Amino acid sequence: MSVPAPALAVALVGNPNTGKSTLFNALTGLRQRVGNYPGVTVARKSGTCDCGDGLKVELVDLPGLYSLAAASPDEQVVTDALVGQIAGERPPDVVVLVVDATNLLRNLFLASQLAELDRPVVLVLNQADVAREQGLRIDTALLSARLGGIPVALVSAWKGEGVADVRRAIARAAREQARLPKVEWPANIAAALTELTRAVAAETGRAPTPAEAQRLLFDTSTALPERLGWSAERREPAIRALRDQVRRSGFNPLAAEPLVHYARLRKVLEGVVTEGLGKAGRTAAVDRLLLHRVLGPVLFAGIMLGMFASVFWLAKFPMGWIQAGVDALKAGVAPALDATPMLQSLVTDGAIGGVGAFLAFLPQILILFLFVGILEDSGYMARAAFIMDRLFSWCGLNGKSFVPMLSGFACAIPGLLSTRTIEDPKARLATAFVVPFMSCSARFPIYALMCAAFIGPLYGPGWESAVMVGMHCVGLLFAVPVAFVLTRFVLRVKPQPFVLELPRYQMPKPRDVLWRMWQNAAEFVTKAGTVIFAITLVVWALCYFPRDPGAAERVRAAQPTLSAEALDARVKAEAIERSWMGRFGKSVQPVFDPCGFDWKITVGVLASFPAREVIVSTLGVTYSLGEGAKADSEHLRKAMQEARWTEGPRAGGRIFTLAAVLALMVFFALCSQCGPTIVTLARETGGWRWAAASFLTMTALAWLAATVVYQVVSRLAPLA
Amino acid sequence: MNLDAAIVYLLVGGAAGWLGFRWAAAWRRRKDGGCAGDCGCSAKVGKKG
Repeated sequence: MSVPAPALAVALVGNPNTGKSTLFNALTGLRQRVGNYPGVTVARKSGTCDCGDGLKVELVDLPGLYSLAAASPDEQVVTDALVGQIAGERPPDVVVLVVDATNLLRNLFLASQLAELDRPVVLVLNQADVAREQGLRIDTALLSARLGGIPVALVSAWKGEGVADVRRAIARAAREQARLPKVEWPANIAAALTELTRAVAAETGRAPTPAEAQRLLFDTSTALPERLGWSAERREPAIRALRDQVRRSGFNPLAAEPLVHYARLRKVLEGVVTEGLGKAGRTAAVDRLLLHRVLGPVLFAGIMLGMFASVFWLAKFPMGWIQAGVDALKAGVAPALDATPMLQSLVTDGAIGGVGAFLAFLPQILILFLFVGILEDSGYMARAAFIMDRLFSWCGLNGKSFVPMLSGFACAIPGLLSTRTIEDPKARLATAFVVPFMSCSARFPIYALMCAAFIGPLYGPGWESAVMVGMHCVGLLFAVPVAFVLTRFVLRVKPQPFVLELPRYQMPKPRDVLWRMWQNAAEFVTKAGTVIFAITLVVWALCYFPRDPGAAERVRAAQPTLSAEALDARVKAEAIERSWMGRFGKSVQPVFDPCGFDWKITVGVLASFPAREVIVSTLGVTYSLGEGAKADSEHLRKAMQEARWTEGPRAGGRIFTLAAVLALMVFFALCSQCGPTIVTLARETGGWRWAAASFLTMTALAWLAATVVYQVVSRLAPLA
Repeated sequence: MNLDAAIVYLLVGGAAGWLGFRWAAAWRRRKDGGCAGDCGCSAKVGKKG
């Protein structure tokens, strides 16, 4: 039996961060479909919504946008979808506009533009609970009357309040077909729009819609003329003349649209919103301090330093418990596998060793995301964006680049996907190029391992945190000049204004913060149990084979005084040197010799190119196999602290000197070691050229920086 | 070949095969658009419906 198609198509639009997707989820429940719009990598989310009385509608959640002046691919999809210009998509019968109830004036700008599309509209005032908290009272009946009688619903989507009202409002809008009243343009602008419509119709044979005419007159970066087939030779002088006409009436043609819309909206909202005693005053006072030109960055650095210090200090105890658990597991499993020594090595040195070394960082990851969650939910992260924007504008990047780059600190992939919100294709490309420089969470375990094994014990916990913060800044420090060169000399990006909405400060909700911690923990553990586990087995095999059965006898003959334990360690060390991985690492090691990497680190570096977090488990395997060390984080640290060069001019010297440790961290901070990131970059930039350029640039910079760090530090502090 | 080696070869071969299969599947999904969901990021995009 076939399911009947929904009778109506309904589009959900609104500014970003208005809770549009939360409302979409509440309206559609689990009946959702996710795909892409044809020809573009913009997600299309749709679902069926039951509006009562047997009316079922197809609800489409469109990407968030501030204005119909489509500049980015996301915004273009929204405007195309609203006018039915997407192949296979019907134009919406009803548009549901979701606005932030706490900021009606700014959010209704989009409503004012939507009026030109001449579609029935439902206005949803979301975050009603927050508006109440702020002491705002909204007269929805008066607002509806002022907006042509369209249905207005006051809801709190995340609490589920008023969702039923939205369903009823959609049904009512479909029934009554109430439209938003159009803005009345001043005479000169209206005349210019009429003249423009006539000029386009004369040349192309099709008169643009009023909305299209406004885009042609007010926007400088719209692709509309090409789509209408209006030639550049005729278009440019005509638009210039019409903008001069607007200018003569006292309006800047590029600012006229918001001025007229906002003047009208202020009148619409008169008496609609009554303000009580809000929190705005307190927010402004705190912002004066946190956004101060000098104090702001200092406080930001202090907060980051405090965060990493807390991560190290708090994680020490649970890390000890995990290490004890790994030890106990090995001790329990090893005797049971005495009869099968190869399998015993695979399980204890490989699986438990590699995965155990990786899992030991779970507490640090959890505590890090606890702090990040608190900073995000409290509203501080948006302030950090504001502080960092000054830096980005200096290097020629669009201010909107901060959000992708901030996302890059968690993972480069969502960072790359979020570059789609940047209108200027050149700025988008430049941002995508530098996003992988940001220190993603996969780099965290190698920093943590090196800091805990060397920096902390040698210089104390203060330096441990400082180096951690420093490593998170290394990528940024390189990204800024790379972006500068790209935007100024290669792509020649024009500077663009950046508008950032600062949310109010609020107490983070424990449930949300804990949920994010849980998600990250689950992902980390899943990764340890699947990909890391499988890679560990493969790395173990490469480090274990081929076997030389006569190795033990040969070592015993050469050094007959060795104890049984030392003999075992020596045999294991010889075996790994002769293994496939050992031979490969030794043949490639000369490339990394200037960085101070021995062949085992080289093996770790090479194994980490598909995914950089593999380094810890690889070191766990190579050092547990090679040094006879127990393979958990604590023993791995000890094995690394004791590791010495066995040949060459540095024979007998420690491998992990301060210079080598810093060089290794700098290498991982900069190197392009993530297969999915490279593939995503290729897709987002429309080919492999920029992905290859990114890989080569980052890898070359990583090698160069690691070499400079190693050479300089080993000369300045040869004994450290 | 003794049992010890047989089990080890099976485990290592299975792990390598699974990794190869997984990466090939992720590659195909990525070509269809969106994130393949194998990178640990939160931007997972479901299959086309």
